[in-house]
Amino acid sequence: MKKFVFAIIILCGYYSIAQNNAIAFGEKLVFSASYNMSGLLTDIAQVTMETSEVKTSKSTLMRLKCTAATYKKFDNFFKIRDLYESYVNPKTLTPYLYKRDISEGGYYKFMQYKYNHKTKLVQSLKRKKRKDGKTWDENKNVKIGAATKDIVSTLYYIRNLDIHKASPGDQQDFTILFDNKETTITLKYIGKETISTNIGSKACYKLAISIKGSDILKGNNSNLLWLTADENKIPVYAKFKIAIGNGELKIQSATGLKH
Amino acid sequence: MGKKLIVILGFTTAVLGVILAVTPFSNLAVVPIIIAFICGLLIFLMSKKDQNKPKSIQYIFLMTIIALVLTIYKSVYYTSEVGDTKQLEQRDEDNLEDSKELLEDIEFDEDL
Repeated sequence: MKKFVFAIIILCGYYSIAQNNAIAFGEKLVFSASYNMSGLLTDIAQVTMETSEVKTSKSTLMRLKCTAATYKKFDNFFKIRDLYESYVNPKTLTPYLYKRDISEGGYYKFMQYKYNHKTKLVQSLKRKKRKDGKTWDENKNVKIGAATKDIVSTLYYIRNLDIHKASPGDQQDFTILFDNKETTITLKYIGKETISTNIGSKACYKLAISIKGSDILKGNNSNLLWLTADENKIPVYAKFKIAIGNGELKIQSATGLKH
Repeated sequence: MGKKLIVILGFTTAVLGVILAVTPFSNLAVVPIIIAFICGLLIFLMSKKDQNKPKSIQYIFLMTIIALVLTIYKSVYYTSEVGDTKQLEQRDEDNLEDSKELLEDIEFDEDL
């Protein structure tokens, strides 16, 4: 199940951009994650992606929040209550603080990254629960590349890509910091496709995602992401193939869009 | 020999159907239910020729009916709604407050 959640989130990448012109404060996207076995779909969890404004004494940041919560029928079976958040510059989506607070079927983990872009260092904090209920912390300094981001900010960053300028087959590598390790993912533009979604029929950019040096995502061009081919570039549909089967992520509602 | 194999297959799929019907993956139970039903039917037809009625038919059909009723009941009455998220909301609020404090100490090297 952990892999399932990871795969949902890893289905993203980024190109370098200058300005954020796709994401507004107060945007809320709701998705339904389901497990697909030979066409038989089982709804598992609700995934939400929200943005909000956070003011500090020095600046105004954008809070990018992703949550995953299993549906009632799954709570007794395998309860997931995950929270991922990233505090970014609203103009460039550069992350400054990242938090991952996950609770999956009795397993608890907390990760925190404090970025220092000048020194290219991330102050990482890992908190885990022992069997007796007590927590233990692990502090680490992780050296990162200039373009390295966390999963959440990457997820939003991708929406600012100039995909309309790309030709089918174009691909690029990106770096994500996950579990204190830099992971390279490849994003490939496949082409345009019109798909039917819960928010209407949408012309979309179809992208394929793969992770270098990892076998979490299986198959070639089997892990796909559809972003609306408009200025909002909202993710409306994602398909992924992992060891335990196929998963899908479908949009349920989208509110507070910029355009 | 063939009949024995069908009985074993029928039993296994009927049990699998019941197990899946009990779990949240109840709609996946449809496949084993169909196989178990076909196996049950085959055993019934074969026994008709032999003029004997083995107990296995009753068990397979009984389990198939239980699994089918459970699956139909769940698909009709269970909606996809999120359960209790109070704890998650609490963690969300706590994290936000903690983050605000942490962000006060972070140096921003670009124009915000």
